[in-house]
Amino acid sequence: MSSALATRLLAPLLFCVNAIAANIEATVLSPAGKPVEDAAVVMEPVVGANPKRQRTVTIEQRDREFIPYVTIVQTGTMVEFPNHDAFKHHIYSFSPAKVFEIKLYADKPSQPVLFDKAGEVALGCNIHDWMEAYVLVVNSAYFAKTGSGGRAIIRDVPAGRYRLRVWHPRQKAEAPLRDVEVRSGPTPTRLDLLADVAARASKPKPPLDSGKY
Amino acid sequence: MILGTLQRRIVVVFVGLLVLVLALIVGLVSSSNNRIVANEATRELAAGARIFTRLVEQNQRQLETAATVLAGDFAFREAIATQDQSTVQSVIRNHGLRIGAQAMMVISTEGKMIADTQQQSVLPRSFQFADLLAGAQTAGKSSGFRQMADGFLYQIVLVPILAPKLIAWVAMGFLVDDSWARELSDMTGLTVSVARRHGAAVALLASSLETAKRTVLAQTLQDSSSASTVVLAIGDEHYQTLQMPLAQEVSVVLQRSLEQAQLPFRALQTVLLIVVFAGVALFAIGSMMLARRIVRPVNELSASVRRIQAGDYTQPVPKLPLDEIGQLAMSFDHMRERIANREEKILRLAYEDNLTGLPNRTRFLESLSQLPAHTSGAVAILNIDRFALINNALGNRVGDRLLIKIGERLSQITPVPKLIARLWGDEFAFLLDGTDKQAATAFAQSVLGILNHPITLDGQRLDVGGSLGIAMYPQDAGDATALLRRADQALVAAKRRHTGFEFSADSGDEPVHEKLSLVGEMREALARQEFVLYYQPKLDLASKKITGAEALLRWRHPTRGLIAPVHFIPFAEQTGFIREITPWLLERVVEQTARWYHEGLSIQVSANLSALDILNPNLVGHVRGLLQQHRLASENLCLEITESALMDEPELALAHLTELSLLGVKLSIDDYGSGQASLGYLKTLPVHELKIDQSFVTSVADSRKNAAIVRSTIVLSHELGLTVTAEGAETPGDLSWLERNGCDMAQGYGIARPMPADALPGWIANYCLPAATHR
Repeated sequence: MSSALATRLLAPLLFCVNAIAANIEATVLSPAGKPVEDAAVVMEPVVGANPKRQRTVTIEQRDREFIPYVTIVQTGTMVEFPNHDAFKHHIYSFSPAKVFEIKLYADKPSQPVLFDKAGEVALGCNIHDWMEAYVLVVNSAYFAKTGSGGRAIIRDVPAGRYRLRVWHPRQKAEAPLRDVEVRSGPTPTRLDLLADVAARASKPKPPLDSGKY
Repeated sequence: MILGTLQRRIVVVFVGLLVLVLALIVGLVSSSNNRIVANEATRELAAGARIFTRLVEQNQRQLETAATVLAGDFAFREAIATQDQSTVQSVIRNHGLRIGAQAMMVISTEGKMIADTQQQSVLPRSFQFADLLAGAQTAGKSSGFRQMADGFLYQIVLVPILAPKLIAWVAMGFLVDDSWARELSDMTGLTVSVARRHGAAVALLASSLETAKRTVLAQTLQDSSSASTVVLAIGDEHYQTLQMPLAQEVSVVLQRSLEQAQLPFRALQTVLLIVVFAGVALFAIGSMMLARRIVRPVNELSASVRRIQAGDYTQPVPKLPLDEIGQLAMSFDHMRERIANREEKILRLAYEDNLTGLPNRTRFLESLSQLPAHTSGAVAILNIDRFALINNALGNRVGDRLLIKIGERLSQITPVPKLIARLWGDEFAFLLDGTDKQAATAFAQSVLGILNHPITLDGQRLDVGGSLGIAMYPQDAGDATALLRRADQALVAAKRRHTGFEFSADSGDEPVHEKLSLVGEMREALARQEFVLYYQPKLDLASKKITGAEALLRWRHPTRGLIAPVHFIPFAEQTGFIREITPWLLERVVEQTARWYHEGLSIQVSANLSALDILNPNLVGHVRGLLQQHRLASENLCLEITESALMDEPELALAHLTELSLLGVKLSIDDYGSGQASLGYLKTLPVHELKIDQSFVTSVADSRKNAAIVRSTIVLSHELGLTVTAEGAETPGDLSWLERNGCDMAQGYGIARPMPADALPGWIANYCLPAATHR
């Protein structure tokens, strides 16, 4: 299946990429054919420049949840964790890519957190066990996250050869990396991708009006 | 206290029944107790088992919760996340201590051991309880009892470590040991043991039992199946046992001690037994007292009855309370009185003469034999003269009334004798205790004096007289019977001598004739030919010739000399020995008569027959045979029979007499007048001759009364065709009176005394009439 699928996927790539840049439209489906949300589609150039984009990303804490659930950042990105709730949060990560901890704080922490190492980082709140969020730290500047329709669009990807990676925090297995040839052109390159993802475990979240949280 | 049979039986039956009933009750209670105990134990065991299961589940949930909380500890998670071996190792030790787990393990998401408080050296390796891990991966957490490498059983709880994503699993092991078992034992009320079966071997991993019992339990479990509820014995104690699987090869053994369950029942049973024993004891005492109350009057009654049995009717039966036994006693008392009355009556009947109301012969003999030793006195027998004739002439009723009168008169006699009795017929007897011969003589005279007054019956004057025979004791005889006999002999003598009364000592002879009575001696006498025949001639008064003789038996005793027939014939008749004597006698007589006849002396010889001889069926044949044998004409033989001899069986006697008569033998009635036969009766017999008793004939010439009787008898006899022989003709006067009055024959001392056979022919040859010779 994988080789047949690969031929089907690769064929438009080979013929429909323009000379300068192209948009990549990726659709991530589950093996059952359902769209997969919050999947990261990352393209790392095999050769050529990998531009650094200095930007600050925000992961909010609102209504005792991390928003968004999945965040993709390029290495060296600073991430802000503004707290919009009326009470404090204590966010932490024990992930090797970024171990940090912001102890009980309100509003905005004084310093953003620099994610300078590629890898996945699981975020939690020490006082709200059900809160979780994931940050995928990548070296590439070309990546996108699927929406509820399972679609992700990576814009202005220069033509060239890329290593394509699909990732999801609840993926059952690491998807194999693939090479994709991007050719510039007006037509977006469409990629149909597959990800097998477990359902999000429901963690008990007590109602707020109990006043204890 | 003596336990009588009845009393014992009452007690035994009562107490026995009670014991039986109580034993049944105790048995029922005991068996139902045992059943209740068994049921109770089973029920308690089941309840305990439910509690146990719940407790273990609860404990597990608590452990899971505790483990989950522990796994959520930030620092713990942080430490685990470091992935630093020694950090992880030390944090699990630390947190293990916090939660109280004896074993802690950290397992990677891939199922590899990251840290282990027990076996640090062999890491990394796979987590050994893959099933627990699989369960946790499905359900988020899992738990169970597992035996670990150290051999101990642990309750293991496996929970995830989330940061917030699953970063590892932590397994916490809680040692299942004796304290665990004891704790559960306290809560369930059961004995809790954990057993591991490996093949046939059973090992106890933990137990609330004391050490001593564990090995026994392990062994017992080895022998029993692990299924369901069973009763197992551990030493002396029995346990209702339930086994439930805890893990593979491991089961929990829950036990309820039956002995403990029985404890309250044992107490109950003890109380019951005490009550039973006390009850039985009380009942035994009570029934013993009751039995004694019942038996005592019975015993008293019994003693009374024994007295009655012994013949003592005088003591009344004791008065008892009027219950059934009292009524019985009353009945006994009435019975006693009636028996006493009846006995008195019987005694009277036995000892009293019906006719006169005087004591009878039995009473007289008894009184006589009851006389104390060394006393002396006299016995007198009175016979009424001519009573037979009066009776004959006037009838029995007059005779009886005469006897009553005589009895009344005798009762008034003075001095009053010790006892007056009527012996029989016309014989009365007197016991004169302490009397000497002189006083006895006076007494006899006064008796005769009383009888001399005529007695008037229905206006008819009756002259009665009497004769008395007197025997003195102790000199005349030693015992009552002999004394009476001696008196009787004296009476005979008195009659014969017409003296009114005679003393036994004076009536001569009568030696110790008791000895003669012996049959043996008579039989010997017969064999030794001591019996001899004497012949007394009979005179034909008309022809003045001796035409006959009477053969008289004599006993020529070697030491005592000649013994008269009166001294042995009665006894021979009594004993039946006469049947041996008579044939001998007849043979001698026939033989002798035949010899005389053939020598030219033709006389008719008479022989006496007794009553027994008359009834003897062989008599006629014997007589016929003898006559033929000795070729003697039958008219030469005369057989004499007394009147009384015919009385026993008159018909048979008559038949035999008739046969003899047909044979041609002469028949004669002997001693006529001494008995009570009437001529009217005699005329029906085939007899030829009548012999008038000598008591009438003797001195017939002087006594008008006798003369009248003899004369009328001769006349009547002749009228009836009988010849008359007078016996006892003693004087020539008698002979000439008899001759004058037509008597045919005479016999007596006046003609000749009995003489030996060889003397007779010579005597006859020389005979001339006494009147002629004046002998």
